[in-house]
Amino acid sequence: MLIKKLGNVGFVDAVTVARAAFGLDALARYPLFAAEFLDFVRAVVPVDRHDTLVYSVVVTAHKGDR
Amino acid sequence: MPYFTDEQTRTLVRETYGGAAANGRAVADALYSAAELNGLPEDAIALALGVGHPVRYASLASGETVLDVGCGAGIDTLLAARAVGDGGRVLAVDMTPAMLERTQHHAALAGATNVEAHEGVMEALPFADGSVDVVVSNGVLNLSTRKSRALAEMLRVLRPGGRIALADLVLAERLPEEIAKNPTALAV
Repeated sequence: MLIKKLGNVGFVDAVTVARAAFGLDALARYPLFAAEFLDFVRAVVPVDRHDTLVYSVVVTAHKGDR
Repeated sequence: MPYFTDEQTRTLVRETYGGAAANGRAVADALYSAAELNGLPEDAIALALGVGHPVRYASLASGETVLDVGCGAGIDTLLAARAVGDGGRVLAVDMTPAMLERTQHHAALAGATNVEAHEGVMEALPFADGSVDVVVSNGVLNLSTRKSRALAEMLRVLRPGGRIALADLVLAERLPEEIAKNPTALAV
């Protein structure tokens, strides 16, 4: 979806150069999420998605020469 | 349809990120190499809140002008400043004044005189058309309710042939609605 959005606004050569699963353990490293929130997510999200809650990606693209 | 308005989102993000406390090196150690972190201010390392390492993929060269959208406490700004050298410059923009102050402080501690901090939002970047060589951003686009608008702004400020390296979080499947509606989940 992000690659498509980049293309839609006019970027060219959009490509995903890195992709990694980002689960509850990764979220817990950040000072943005209280333990109560993490517990809430742990309770609501099925266990099989705890390690793949979202994905971290790095994308690159160019602006055309003209 | 978003669960939060632009203004609600910005207020929540300013409060959440502005109030973020230094939290050790767990995030930075997961994203950056020891060599990259060497010489950076400890607080910049402890306030790393990105989700990837866009600077690694930006192929920065000496003398380039880089825009760091949503610079936070400045760790990617400092890495970019190191890569472009004294002949280049890094424009660090953030909508959270507390984070901008941290970036300025960390740049001063690091002796990075090629860093300029600017307050602004990603959907209306305070820079001229075609004024930068490279845009980097780390874990910021997902905080916007108008992502296409923010990407169009990044395109606008790039010179022809310029490039972008963007780290962000993406969903493989929708999150349960109870989570998506939770203000804290805006950062996910």
